[in-house]
Amino acid sequence: MMPWAASNVSPVLQGVSLMRTYGDGTARRNALQNVSVDLFPGQLVLLMGPSGSGKSTLLAALSGLLEPDSGQVLAADDDGRMRDVWQMTAREREAYRRRHTGFVFQGYNLFPALTARQQLELVLKWGENASGSEARRRADEVLDKLGLSANKNKKPAQLSGGEKQRVAIGRALVKNPTLVFADEPTSALDWENGQKVIELLRDAAHQRGAAVLCVSHDARLLPFVDVFYHLDDGRLERRTLPGA
Amino acid sequence: MSIALQTLWHERTRYASGVLAVTFSAVLIALQCGLLLGLFKITSIPIDNTSADVWIGSNKVESVDLGRPIPASYLSRIAGRPGITSVESYVAAFASFAKPAGGTEMCFLLGSNLDADAAGAAKVLSKEQLDLLTMPDAIVVDESDVKRLGVTDEKKAKINGKEVLVVGTVKGLKSLAAPWVFCSVHTARHLLGFMLPPDHITYYLARCETPARGRELAAELKAEYPEDMAVYTAEQFSTGSRVYWLFRTKAGIAIGYAALLGLLVGAVITAQTLYSATAANAKEFAILLALGIPRWRISAMVLSQSFWVGIIGIALAYPVCLGLKYGARQVGADVDLRWEVLTGTAVITVGMALVAGFFALRSVRQIEPMNLLR
Repeated sequence: MMPWAASNVSPVLQGVSLMRTYGDGTARRNALQNVSVDLFPGQLVLLMGPSGSGKSTLLAALSGLLEPDSGQVLAADDDGRMRDVWQMTAREREAYRRRHTGFVFQGYNLFPALTARQQLELVLKWGENASGSEARRRADEVLDKLGLSANKNKKPAQLSGGEKQRVAIGRALVKNPTLVFADEPTSALDWENGQKVIELLRDAAHQRGAAVLCVSHDARLLPFVDVFYHLDDGRLERRTLPGA
Repeated sequence: MSIALQTLWHERTRYASGVLAVTFSAVLIALQCGLLLGLFKITSIPIDNTSADVWIGSNKVESVDLGRPIPASYLSRIAGRPGITSVESYVAAFASFAKPAGGTEMCFLLGSNLDADAAGAAKVLSKEQLDLLTMPDAIVVDESDVKRLGVTDEKKAKINGKEVLVVGTVKGLKSLAAPWVFCSVHTARHLLGFMLPPDHITYYLARCETPARGRELAAELKAEYPEDMAVYTAEQFSTGSRVYWLFRTKAGIAIGYAALLGLLVGAVITAQTLYSATAANAKEFAILLALGIPRWRISAMVLSQSFWVGIIGIALAYPVCLGLKYGARQVGADVDLRWEVLTGTAVITVGMALVAGFFALRSVRQIEPMNLLR
């Protein structure tokens, strides 16, 4: 049984009655309409929906990147207390993201000048003031687990699309976050590489205990996830997984 | 290698224009200053080519060519002090040089003691020339001025209406406004006539046991006689003469404008290069911001890059400056690239690159992690 399936496990992140609109007048669009969602440790959640349905807005609001018009984003602090991310100061929110969140995007966004190892080291050195040797050790550990041992010293131009996305996942995981947000992480990849990526995200949830929220259009990811939500016109609906 | 430097090297073609802009600014500044310093070295030739430690002249004299007659009695203020090995009279004054074929030129008379080891005798004068100059009304000029002064094979001319004989020429003592004319104190006094009153002299030159004693002596005399005479070490007087003419001719302002223009062009190009290079990596920086990396880390990296752009630009500028200095020497121009000029140029241009970096920081402020989400 997955840890989140136990009844006494608390969510690490709760979105409560989130509202967000764009534009005004006739161009007004409801991106989020009273959306509530809980993310549990060890759980891979898939969020699907048509283009413009508000998926990215929800991910941004939950991850502390975009302030909702109303509602709360309650995140578990180090001592287990829930705090509203959007009641924090900008600096506190930045520190919260630094301690707890990892991001994977469709574009790999890797620094062209840096090797795979350096991409990860940078996050540790700049984010946690880790020493050179500690950053290297932790970066190597993550890259080894992601099957990138042979590619540590390669720069993005020398890596395939799948390898680049694995490095980007490594960058998201290297600081051991409690929350991982992935926005269309497989859409630029063929299915073989896409499958590897979703397996790695599942491992991040199941083996590392992170709460992983993955936004995607790709229905082929469904067999890999624990929970499946559908968002349409700003309304969130939990759906039953096929075969469940 | 730092991340800033690694990125700089990886994207060297992108950063090349910024580096070259710094190089351009640095070469422009160093060369302008060097050329002017080289040019104004001419104004201190009488000091730089003699071996006195201390120069004593009329009150508040700012440049060697502006000395007014001082009473010969001032000698008693100097002679007899400990650590002084000799004190000599020195005459320096403008005079009118009548060309044999007609026409006149201003010249500058330098009358000194002519002993072989005299403090005031120009170092380039040969033993033979020193002997010849002991003849009444004998003079020596620089070979570059022979044509200007219209000296013919007869070697005769007139200064202040009195006939003189050119007994030789020297090399490398070019003049700016008035050709230098080397002679004995006696000849100078004769040629100047009433312009140098009896019992007066233009300078006293003191030579000391050590240069340190020279500095002490200058300080002592300055403190004791602040009102009616000026005392300098040779180094101070040389620099003072150059600086005086640099500012008197407004050449300093010319340097300032040229340097400012060079800096402005360099700063704009460097800022634009850094701005676009940072904007090109905006997505990579945005993900760092999303991960909670503080924005100042990215700003620090951009500033670090601007610092390295400055350093590399300077490193390229120095050999170019030395090459141009060599080229200028071939056509007879002296570019004085002393360490102060090179260091000052480095400080100014690296400072400029850093300022450009600060301007480029607006691209960092525009980075938003939200833009990564479609």
